[in-house]
Amino acid sequence: MNRFFLLLVGALAGFGLAVAASHFAYGAIGPRYATEQQLGRFGEAFQLVRENYLQKPEDKNLVENAIGGMLTNLDAHSSYFDPQTYAAMQTKAAGAYGGIGLVVTVKDGTAKIVEPIADTPASRAGLRKDDVLVAIDGVAMRNRTLDDVSSRMRGTVGTAVALTVARGADKPFDLKLVREVIEVERLTWHREGDVGYIKIVAFSDRTDPDLRIAVAALKRQIGPSLKGFVIDLRDNGGGVLQAAIDVSDDFLDTGEIVSVRGREPDAIERYDAHYGDVSGGKPIVLLINGGTASASEIVAGALQDHHRATILGTLSFGKGSVQSIMPLDNGAGGALHITTARYYTPAGRSIQVTGIVPDVVVSGGPGAPEYQREVELPHHLLAEGPPARPLAAAIEPAAGRSYDDFQLATALAFLHKTLAVRGKSPDHA
Amino acid sequence: MKKIAFVGIGVAIGFVAALGVLPAAHGANDMSAYRQLDLFSDAFERVRANYVRPVEDSELINAAIEGMVSNLDPHSSYMDAKAFADMQIQTKGSFGGIGIEVTMENGLVKIITPIDNTPGSKAGLKAGDYIAAINGVSVQGLNLNDAIDKMRGPAGSKITLTIVRTGDKATAKKPFDVTLTRAVVAVDEVRWHREGDVGYIRMPGFNENTASGLETAIRDLKHQIGPGLKGYVLDLRNNPGGLLDQAVQVSDDLLTSGEVVSTRGRHPDDTQRYDAHPGDVTDGKPVIVLINAGTASASEIVAGALQDHHRATILGMTSFGKGSVQTIIPLSEGGGALRLTTARYYTPSGHSIQAQGIVPDVMVAAGDEGDIPKIARPSEADLPGHLAGEPVVKKANQTVIRPPANAPKTGADGKPYDFQLQYALQLLRGKVAALPAGMVN
Repeated sequence: MNRFFLLLVGALAGFGLAVAASHFAYGAIGPRYATEQQLGRFGEAFQLVRENYLQKPEDKNLVENAIGGMLTNLDAHSSYFDPQTYAAMQTKAAGAYGGIGLVVTVKDGTAKIVEPIADTPASRAGLRKDDVLVAIDGVAMRNRTLDDVSSRMRGTVGTAVALTVARGADKPFDLKLVREVIEVERLTWHREGDVGYIKIVAFSDRTDPDLRIAVAALKRQIGPSLKGFVIDLRDNGGGVLQAAIDVSDDFLDTGEIVSVRGREPDAIERYDAHYGDVSGGKPIVLLINGGTASASEIVAGALQDHHRATILGTLSFGKGSVQSIMPLDNGAGGALHITTARYYTPAGRSIQVTGIVPDVVVSGGPGAPEYQREVELPHHLLAEGPPARPLAAAIEPAAGRSYDDFQLATALAFLHKTLAVRGKSPDHA
Repeated sequence: MKKIAFVGIGVAIGFVAALGVLPAAHGANDMSAYRQLDLFSDAFERVRANYVRPVEDSELINAAIEGMVSNLDPHSSYMDAKAFADMQIQTKGSFGGIGIEVTMENGLVKIITPIDNTPGSKAGLKAGDYIAAINGVSVQGLNLNDAIDKMRGPAGSKITLTIVRTGDKATAKKPFDVTLTRAVVAVDEVRWHREGDVGYIRMPGFNENTASGLETAIRDLKHQIGPGLKGYVLDLRNNPGGLLDQAVQVSDDLLTSGEVVSTRGRHPDDTQRYDAHPGDVTDGKPVIVLINAGTASASEIVAGALQDHHRATILGMTSFGKGSVQTIIPLSEGGGALRLTTARYYTPSGHSIQAQGIVPDVMVAAGDEGDIPKIARPSEADLPGHLAGEPVVKKANQTVIRPPANAPKTGADGKPYDFQLQYALQLLRGKVAALPAGMVN
């Protein structure tokens, strides 16, 4: 950025110097010339707005909105963290960053509550599954992305957020919630008879150690009759890449887990498995659905390609891109959050848009939420490579029978070999 | 603005010259602008270098300018070079098309009316026809604007529409194809006809030809109707506005003196007042102006001026409430243009209609308001980020006159029954006497 600094100083000192500086820096012609012209166009627009807009705008707001517009237009996951948001994210670890405890989904342009997390501002205020978020802080939430809706609910602990909520056909109502630190259990587990059940809610630094503890405890509890494990990645929107790699490695002995490829051909990072399987090689069923995204899809893709787990459920979200956070001006200027790479499963598949196709397609049953998938997001990065194999018809619950969790019940039947699945036996896992 | 013309000549001067014109008097302020621009160029360079795929510089800058401008308020936006060129065609009032006014109904495009002397009317398309497919491609899933885009094209090119006509027994439910040759169609053209002893004038928008269109219409109606002429109905329903100077001229055509509108910008000396000149093209005949929630901007200027001067009776439903003025500011050659809110306007009595709208003198519902979900017909106050209105004295709540339950579905002319128009005609003929209190007449 030194060159711009030079140019800016030049501008203050006079045109002659500025021109000289630019000649020195780039020469008068060439691709750089075109780039400078484009930057010049922005400078011109900026100046015209400053001088002519109805109310005197803040320079800072103009530029933040410009950077935001430039990034959100790139793809569905790139965005700008303004300085306040970025600062708040930095303090997240210190516990000052809060939320209201809502899990939401966006479908057909409507933001809907999937569940209010127990003992959070949202659950105490009586919000319910399927309530529609009409507006947040007076801003209409129609046709917003999930990232946008979620980020508006988060903020500094102690600050208030105003929600307008519609329930059924009733008149929408307003309520104000004060943000708190939301302690989400990242991983829960229990035994289902002779099967160990582990739910990973999101991938964080704690996920891998917690998973190892859970596997060890379940082995001890169930003993030698242990049939296998169900690892539930449904509604797991992802998280830290390294955690996904470590979790995959826990069940794999060797071979690639994932490769991350940037723009330049040589910008490839490969992550390999290390010897050792914490489960002792027991059969594994991974549960996925339309809310299974990103880091979760890395785990599902790796275990699927290595035939280490049977993937059961519905088609996953399809987010095959990796974002990096790049602070501007050491964070004083906020930070860019932009897509810098795509990732590929060990077999070289990109799951961007196509998602992970389950080995055993099992419907979520009546009342399962419908998910907005990557392909529906405006400006999504396009898929690469051959299309995924077609989705088989889903196994549906038998008429008249109701299940608490049909996918889990089917996974347990599969591990008990009481489920016949189109020539595929559980030994496959 | 003159200095800006330098931009674009230069080497990196593009950027530097834009900075060079920052007002010299505000040193500290400028440093903030430089710092912000430096921040922007840093972000731009990082995206260019690191984004997962190469992106055109122009694409990044277009999105940045759009992000900067469109966040100011709902009416400010950026037009890239192509959109700017399209807009110039629009305000000139003509494009290649087939000449039908359409709406969306049940996922199909419905013809509201074919415009006289256009390919659409010559091919026999009728009001109420549905368009099921354009060039063999179903319109299902298209929004109205996409469908309109597909029907437009260069004059002389051909287009095939698949029509479903429900009204007529012989062809009911059996779609048929019509092939038309696109022609230059005048958009937003003033149209008129006599309704017995009343002149009816429809103004769908304000383009360069609108005021002269009104003058022609009135001359022709005077001639058609003769001395029995009772007055005029000026229909501004669903008129989203357009050129300010045309709204001023239209108001002036009916007013003989006084202020029409004033626009007030950021600085006190930005205030501009537009005054009426002597002469009333109608010779002082009674005028009723029809408005509804789709009446916005330039249309509201006309309604507000005629209302404040007691020159017309405003009839219908409260208007949209867009009281801001946008100015098109072109960037240097090929750079597109900003459409920037630069002023608010005020009616002659000093009211801003921003987010308030024009409240009719006689509230008359069309009858179908309840059928349209609120979200489909937002008003300014519903738009996120709208400029706040200024406090005004709200008129007392009036009774809304609604169509009787036994009102016919279609009028004598076969078009949908228009209760607001019929009420206006009755009012001009003195046949409705019981007017709500406070009515101006």
